[in-house]
Amino acid sequence: MATNSRYPTGVHPLLAEETARRRRIEARFVDAFSGAGFAEVVLPIIDYVEPYASLVDSTAAKQSYRFVDREGDLVAIRADFTPMLARALAPAITAGELPLRLFYRGDVIRVEASRLGANRELFQIGAEIIGDDSIDADLAMLRLAADLVSDPAIVYNDVSIAAVLIAESSAVREALSAKRMTPGVPAALQTIVAKLISGEATLDDVAPFAPEAAARLSAIGDALDGDATFALHLDDIEDIGYYTGLRFRVYAGAARAKVAQGGRYDTLYERFGQRAAAIGFTFTIDDLD
Amino acid sequence: MRIAIPKGRLQDRALGVFAGAGYKVPDDADLKTRKLVFDRGGIEWIFVKDCDVPVYVEHGAADAGIAGLDQILEHECTAYQPVELPFGRCRMMLIAAPGAPPLTKVATKYPRITRQFLDSRGVRAEIVPLGGSVELAAVLKLTSHVVDLVETGETVRVHKLELQDVIAEISPRLIVGKNFYRTEPKQVRELIAKVEEAVNVAR
Repeated sequence: MATNSRYPTGVHPLLAEETARRRRIEARFVDAFSGAGFAEVVLPIIDYVEPYASLVDSTAAKQSYRFVDREGDLVAIRADFTPMLARALAPAITAGELPLRLFYRGDVIRVEASRLGANRELFQIGAEIIGDDSIDADLAMLRLAADLVSDPAIVYNDVSIAAVLIAESSAVREALSAKRMTPGVPAALQTIVAKLISGEATLDDVAPFAPEAAARLSAIGDALDGDATFALHLDDIEDIGYYTGLRFRVYAGAARAKVAQGGRYDTLYERFGQRAAAIGFTFTIDDLD
Repeated sequence: MRIAIPKGRLQDRALGVFAGAGYKVPDDADLKTRKLVFDRGGIEWIFVKDCDVPVYVEHGAADAGIAGLDQILEHECTAYQPVELPFGRCRMMLIAAPGAPPLTKVATKYPRITRQFLDSRGVRAEIVPLGGSVELAAVLKLTSHVVDLVETGETVRVHKLELQDVIAEISPRLIVGKNFYRTEPKQVRELIAKVEEAVNVAR
């Protein structure tokens, strides 16, 4: 129902003041990225659905706005920059060029029917380091994310720990998602799952299940050296998606809203034909004060 | 901390849980006023319609609340559900008019849960969303079937309807918003521990 004053759900224009605000925030990010050696890339606003079919699960697929274009191909409006960058970059890069530090900005459209506002246009700005699987890269991205907003709280974890436990029994996923012990969790995993849920689990507890992840998190924790901005939340297993290792979320502002999320996806590039470890994060500018 | 209490069926028992957990909750005199927000013992208690608790908590307008699994599922609420409460248990069921034809039209207050159930069974049927008294739809032959909560089965018996299938076991839970859970771990742990203890004592 078109009217003179209405817009489709979840989109709205920014007038002069709001635009100025967005551009100010954007400029701050661009300065920080440039200063840290990141170069900008521009990605298309629509792309074919097919190349991403294997890595997008059905929930994520439902979140993208899809239609058939004039040639009869199924296309989607950009809903996530990271796989698009992998698809664009993988055929074009050689091992010698790595690591690369890149950033991008632009709109994504998410169809989130159950959320406030059905379709949502979000302005995002994100950065990635491609071709560096080191702990130093992890730390660089964590610290860069922390520097971009004032008074941030960053929660981090390694998704491979939960992946190992979930691979043994899907009841673990249910228990960890609800944060409540369920009878379906196998006896051998009940202790660790209970500790994860209660928040008592330590790296020593998870080490027997995922020794590499535990060692890596331990090294990251040592390097962050008691910085209260960062907190290890071993029970955080949401949206594993294409992530393979470190996963983090950034909260900021008085309302402690989530303003950014990111992590490591070391197998994403090889799905597009080029092996390269990668880590990145994305801020949603609309969520920033 | 802001806690959402569902008005109606679960209200008294939900408040009872928090009172048992040692929280100062609004009393009867408070509740007789028409206010919906009360500051008691450093906590802001808000009273909202039961179906809105998951919405408030999902979006962080409340930090925690008590919600039935029916409303959690219907709103695809992603908040954590750390404590299951030992009262108000019921079942989401598929109910038919006697001698009903195969399922082609179903009335419900829970269109999303019903859609998922029908999809999981590979049944193609039309959903008629209603606001309440759903059984009447089957009695009056608006639809052949309804999907609704069944607690004692009394309504179903009175209307001579037939219980056909259990869609889900429903119980109320303490739900905690994700952002609150991640950013206020101390408060969250204390809340969960206290409510858990109150629930265990009540058992």
